[in-house]
Amino acid sequence: MDYHKLRFIKDRLMQSLVYLSLILAFIPLFSIIYEVFVRGVSAINVDFFIKPTPTVGEVGGGVANAIQGTLITIGLASLIGVPVGLMSGIFLSEYSESRLSMIIRFLHDVLGGVPSIVIGVFAYALITRSIGFSVTAAAFALAVIMIPIVTRTTEEALKLVPMSIREAAIALGIPRWKVTITIALSSARKAIITGILLSIARIAGESAPILVSMGFWRWWFAGLNRPVANLALNIFIFAMSPFKNWVTLAWGSALILIIMVLIISVLARITLTRG
Amino acid sequence: MSRIIDSSLEGLLSTLNKMGGMAYNAVSKALLECLDGREAYNEIREISDHLLTMTDYVEDRTFELIVRYQPVASDLRRIKSYMKIAYDLARFGRYALDISFTNKKLERLKNCEEWIKIYIKEMGEKVLDMIKLSIEALKNSDAQLARNISEKENEVDKMHLEFLDKLIKSETTTRCAISSILIIRYLERIADHAAYICESIIYIATGQKEVLR
Amino acid sequence: MVKFDIQNLNAWFGSKHVLKNINMKIEENTVTAIIGPSGCGKTTLLRCLNRMHELIPGARVSGKVIFNGVNIYDNSVDPVMVRRKIGMVFQKPNPFPMMSIYDNVAVGLKLNGIRDKRVLDAAVKRSLELANLWDEVKDELNKSGASLSGGQQQRLCIARALAVEPEVLLMDEPCSALDPISTAKIEELIRKLAKDYTIIIVTHNVQQAARVSDFTAFLYLGELIEYGPTRQIFENPQNELTERYLTGKFG
Repeated sequence: MDYHKLRFIKDRLMQSLVYLSLILAFIPLFSIIYEVFVRGVSAINVDFFIKPTPTVGEVGGGVANAIQGTLITIGLASLIGVPVGLMSGIFLSEYSESRLSMIIRFLHDVLGGVPSIVIGVFAYALITRSIGFSVTAAAFALAVIMIPIVTRTTEEALKLVPMSIREAAIALGIPRWKVTITIALSSARKAIITGILLSIARIAGESAPILVSMGFWRWWFAGLNRPVANLALNIFIFAMSPFKNWVTLAWGSALILIIMVLIISVLARITLTRG
Repeated sequence: MSRIIDSSLEGLLSTLNKMGGMAYNAVSKALLECLDGREAYNEIREISDHLLTMTDYVEDRTFELIVRYQPVASDLRRIKSYMKIAYDLARFGRYALDISFTNKKLERLKNCEEWIKIYIKEMGEKVLDMIKLSIEALKNSDAQLARNISEKENEVDKMHLEFLDKLIKSETTTRCAISSILIIRYLERIADHAAYICESIIYIATGQKEVLR
Repeated sequence: MVKFDIQNLNAWFGSKHVLKNINMKIEENTVTAIIGPSGCGKTTLLRCLNRMHELIPGARVSGKVIFNGVNIYDNSVDPVMVRRKIGMVFQKPNPFPMMSIYDNVAVGLKLNGIRDKRVLDAAVKRSLELANLWDEVKDELNKSGASLSGGQQQRLCIARALAVEPEVLLMDEPCSALDPISTAKIEELIRKLAKDYTIIIVTHNVQQAARVSDFTAFLYLGELIEYGPTRQIFENPQNELTERYLTGKFG
């Protein structure tokens, strides 16, 4: 009888501890969202979305150009990062036992661990030095960050395609490379897209490499060899400025950024579960 | 390795064995009846009826084995043959009864010539031997042993023809003639069925259909 | 007409010798069953007939398999072409998961360059009819292949294999994952297809071999022990080993 009660108490205790930890874990997340929402929502108005960065001393203004710039940067980065990552992932899964694959995998793992600021400097050295501070350089840096992520998710996703599916396709008289590109890829579609979406969410929030390779830009898109405005970078610059409207814009940008990342994550989840 | 079907097959074999013993008994009694008058019609009748019931039982059991076990190869050959052999054994009983009936209606070879009685006695012994041989070969599905019946079958056939020859030339009474022809005929049929049994045994053992007659 | 003339076929998994000197001839438009205890090499034999065995790392084949007069292992022969003529259906039904029923059946043709919708439509209908599945799915061709029942999925896989118009259908224990009624439907299908295709079926169910095949081959430890008309193998097997396997006297 005693043991029964004791066990019951222990059980309840553990349960409470677990729930407590859960709450503790969520506190930072919710407090961030709360703070950003409360402070950022006041920045949200029509102007926010159509006016570019205000000059020093100008009242009001918006982050329209930053939104444009961020989208362009991410788009460019994806254009480079996704195909390269996909093809590396396909290569690694098809020839996974070869020495070359071992080497490539190792290098990707290393690359994945390199701090993003270092990648930014690398982009600076390679691109900025030749064509100047530009969206190309930033996109390049972000692509380099993306590639290991996309490669790994693609390889893992392809590995998960059951052998039976591939065998069925091979038995139909479809050449092996076609089997990989069509059947395997389409079977792994969900996981691969999820991987891509998550890598985009990751680079959307990068600011350090952008600062180093592209720098701050106040205007609209002005060519591939010039910089563009960037939401994350703006938060950095505006938040530390003495201008109140800039600070407000910073909070607004933070809110937008969080919402963007949230939307991408939700999309990724939906793709994964319902594809 | 003992399989589920094995105990059923052994059971069937032992039933056939029993039937064999009963059949031997019936034919034996019928022959004694001919030769020294011991009336046995009712006994033989009982044995014959019993044999018929047992044939139905064997048929039913083999059918059940087919339904349950879908036997193949030697098992299948064995089951098919057991059914046939049961029928052949029942025929022994039936012919024994026919002999006894003949005895009853036609006064058991009373006052018939000695030579007739001798023929019947000798043929009867040969036929009883054949019954014994077939039952013995059945016990172990012994194809070698089963083939030995061929010789005996030929002897019985020869005796049958000889008897007919002699009968035609003799001056015996109609009653004796009819009675003895019928009995010899029945004995010859019993011999045939004993040969059939041995053919079935060879089929079980080798899968080949040999003719022993 | 002899469809397959298998001569001194040997197969290895690394150093493990799994098929030893197989010699047999398979007639056109017959159903041949390959039976034997687990691990005897039946699936390996099947896979040697459409050059799928060699895809496994470390696998090796020697000997000849002469199909329509040509040795499929000859250096000049493209394995992809071999697999188009010799189709295969696997143990666990494996329709392509992200594709509809229509796409599943059409994929073999599409990937071989056939784009004309009318041709594809006709081919899909014909294959599904051949596989006795048309009536059940004709109104829902766009439903996912995976939404069908196990037995239907297997028939879908058969339709998919038939769509590329092979001459031979290799079946590796096609019914072992199915319930008795689905199994019966597939067996019926096999007998129907036998008129126009040469079918070779590996099965661990000897009763199925007895029901469905014209010829039966018994493999044991990689060797062909006995091969002959099914009626004869099941009524009067010539080899002691075959007799023991069929009557369940194997350990």
